[in-house]
Amino acid sequence: MSKRRGATSPPLYPSPKRFRTSRSDHADQISTLSDELLLQILSFLPMPSLLICQRVSRRFHDLAGDSELWKKQYYSRWVRPRARRLANARRDPPPQSEVKYSPKVSSWLGHGHLAKKGMGTNWKRQYRLRHNWAKGACRVTEIEFPQPPCRQMLVTFCAGILFTVDLDNGLRVWSAEKPENCLAMISLAHPRSSILPAPTAMTATSDSQRSLVDVAVGFEDGRFDVYSLDTVTLRLDMRFSCLERASGAITAMASYSPYILLVSQQKVLYLYKITTDTNDTAGLLTSDSTLLLTSLKADNILEPISLSIRTAGSEIMASIVYSFYHIGCGWSLGIQALHFDLVGQQIGSRVTTTVDCHYGVDLGSPNRSSGKCGTASWATDASTEPYTRPADPSILHHNPPTSVSYSHPYLLTSHADNTLTIYLVVSTSTSLFVKGCRRLWGHTSAVSAVQVNDRGKAISVSSRGDEIRIWELESLASSLRGQKAVQDGNGIRISPEVRRSGRQDTIKLALSFQDISPARSRFFEVPHALGTMRGCIGFDDERVLLRREKEAGTQMLECYDFT
Amino acid sequence: MSEQTEQNAQVEQSAPQILTFCTNDNAILEVERDVAERSVLIRHLLEDLPASGQAIPLQMVNEAVMKKVIEWCRHHQKDPPSTGDDDDSRRKTTDIEEWDQKFMQVDQEMLFEIILAANFLDIKGLLDVGCKTVANMIKGKSPEEIRKTFNIQNDFTPEEEDQIRRENEWAEDR
Repeated sequence: MSKRRGATSPPLYPSPKRFRTSRSDHADQISTLSDELLLQILSFLPMPSLLICQRVSRRFHDLAGDSELWKKQYYSRWVRPRARRLANARRDPPPQSEVKYSPKVSSWLGHGHLAKKGMGTNWKRQYRLRHNWAKGACRVTEIEFPQPPCRQMLVTFCAGILFTVDLDNGLRVWSAEKPENCLAMISLAHPRSSILPAPTAMTATSDSQRSLVDVAVGFEDGRFDVYSLDTVTLRLDMRFSCLERASGAITAMASYSPYILLVSQQKVLYLYKITTDTNDTAGLLTSDSTLLLTSLKADNILEPISLSIRTAGSEIMASIVYSFYHIGCGWSLGIQALHFDLVGQQIGSRVTTTVDCHYGVDLGSPNRSSGKCGTASWATDASTEPYTRPADPSILHHNPPTSVSYSHPYLLTSHADNTLTIYLVVSTSTSLFVKGCRRLWGHTSAVSAVQVNDRGKAISVSSRGDEIRIWELESLASSLRGQKAVQDGNGIRISPEVRRSGRQDTIKLALSFQDISPARSRFFEVPHALGTMRGCIGFDDERVLLRREKEAGTQMLECYDFT
Repeated sequence: MSEQTEQNAQVEQSAPQILTFCTNDNAILEVERDVAERSVLIRHLLEDLPASGQAIPLQMVNEAVMKKVIEWCRHHQKDPPSTGDDDDSRRKTTDIEEWDQKFMQVDQEMLFEIILAANFLDIKGLLDVGCKTVANMIKGKSPEEIRKTFNIQNDFTPEEEDQIRRENEWAEDR
C-alpha cells in the first residue's frame, strides 16, 4: 500500500485518511463507511450471515437487523418461489418483472397484508415466524383448564384471543399470547328463567375497523346470545339475546360480522343478521336485534358438518358442508351455498357434491389426477382406461370423515385411515362445483381434526394428539386447477409434479414432541401422558391451539407458538 | 445541410473526447469521455455544465483511487448500462467475474475507498463489485473472525452477546 502510494506524487494537503494509512492494519476501516453503504454490503449476504453480523458489534447488530434487509430476504425465500410456482401451474411464464423483488404490495401475492404501507412490519420477525412454521419449530405451552371440567366447555379462537364458555364460569376471554390469565369474563344469564341451559355452540368474528370481536353463544334451548369484546379496552359486554328460538339445540355456528349462521339439532339452518339501531343522536342508546334472513330444513344432513359464511362483492355466501353416504362411493360431501344480497334477499342456492370427483370425473376430463392420487390399486385400474368413467371410485371412504373444514376454495376432510382429502370448490357466477380431489398422505395414525384457512394453510392432528401436521395447500390447489390446461398437453406429466409438490409442501411439523429443542419447550413437561385429542381449536399466523383431554379427565389447552 | 454539419462539428468541439480531472491530492488525470461517463455523476455534470476545457475537481477522490476507478471503467466500458432497478436477482449471488476479482485484490483501505468513490461517482457496477467483495469477506466467518478481519471493536458485554446469540438461535439448523 505505502509502496504504491510512494510512487505517486506526494500529496500537497495531507488528509486525515492519509494519516491512518500508516497503521491501516489496526484501524477499523469498515466502520468509516456510512450506514447506507454498509446496508448495501449486507444486502448481498445470505440470512445466516446477517445473524452472525448481528453479533459483531452494536452498530452491526442494528444494521443487520434492518427491516428492509429482512423484507428482501423474506421476499426471496417465501414470495418469489411461490410466484414461480404459481406461474408454473398456470403454464405461462410470467414476465421477468413479476418474480423480481419489488417493494410494491401488488406483486407480493397474498403477502400484501404484511407489506401494506405504514404498517411498520418487523420483517425479521416475520421471517423468523415463517421460518419456524416451515421447520415446525415452536414453543409449547400447556394450560390446564380450571377444574372441574365436568360440564361441557366450548372454546373458540379469533383474532389472537381465546374464548371459552361453560355453564359454571360463563364466557371468559384469554390472550393466546399469555393464556395463563383470564382477561375478562361475563357470566351467562337467562332473561326468563333461572335454570340456565347449557351452551352448545360458539362462534367469534372480528370487526377490525371497530376493534371489536363479536362472540355468539348458542344454547341447548335453541336461543343464542351475542357478546362483544373491545379488543383495546378488553371490555366484554352482552349485546343482546336473540329471543327467537331455533328448533332444538344449536349444534353449529359460524359468523362473519354482522351475519350469524347456525344449525339446530333438528337440522334447520338459520341465517341471521345483527342490526344495530341507533335511537338517539348521540348514539348512546343503541339497541341490537337480529333479523332472520332465512331458514332451511334439511333432511339428510349428517355429522360432521361445517358452516362457513363469507362476503364477496355485494353478495353474502353462506355455505354448509355436510356428509352423506352414497352407494358406490361411500361417504361423500355435499355443499350447499346460499347467496344473499346485502339486504338479505336470497339470490340463489346451489348444491354440489363430491361424488363425481370421487370417480375422477372432473369437468369431462376423467382420471387426470384423481386416478393418480387414489389408493394404489384404484390408481392402476384407472390409468389403464384414462378416458372412460371407471366402475369404481378412485377415492372411497367407508367411514364418515372425522372432521370437515371448509374455507373457500379449500375443503378438507380428515379420516380415520390416516389420510386427509382435499377438494377444491369452484364457485362461479353460474355454478358451483368441486374440481379435483386428492388424498393427502403423511399421518401415521388416524386423523381426528383438520382446519383450513382461506390462504390454504391447514392444520391436522391425529386422534392421539401426538402428530400435528401443517399443510400448505396453495400450490396443490393451483396444480389441481391446472388440469384443464394439461389436458391438451401431456396428461401424464402432471402427476409426478402434483405428487412432488404435495410432498414438498407437506412440511413435517413439530411432529413428535421430542423434535422440539429443549430451549423452545421450556414450558413443556417431557414425561407426557398423551391424552386424547379433543380437537383443533384454531390457528392463526403465529400459533396453533389444540385441546387435549388427559386420562384423569383434565382438559388441557395446548398452544404451539411459532414466534 | 451544411449548417447541420457545422452544428455537429460545433457539438463535437464543445464536447471534447478527453476530459481532465483534478483529484483531491491535486493530481491531473486525463480520461476519455466515454470511459468517464460510466459515472452517473460525471455524466450529469457534463450535461449540466458547459464544457470549459478546465479540469473537473473531484473533492472526494484521491489519485490512486481515481486511477483504479478509471481502470475499472475502461475495462467495463462496453458493459450494457445498468437498469438502475433494485432487483433481487442482482443480490442473489456474490459471484464476481474473474477480472473484477483480480481488480479487487487490494488492501482494505483501497477497497473501502473504491466503494466510497464508486458511491460518490455513482458507478453502480463498481459499487456492487466492491460491496460483493466485502460481503464475501464476511460470509462464512464467525463474529470473532469478522471482527478480526475488519478490526471492529466488540462493544457488547459478554451477557449481551450471549443474549443476541440466543435470540438468533432459531435460524440454526437442528
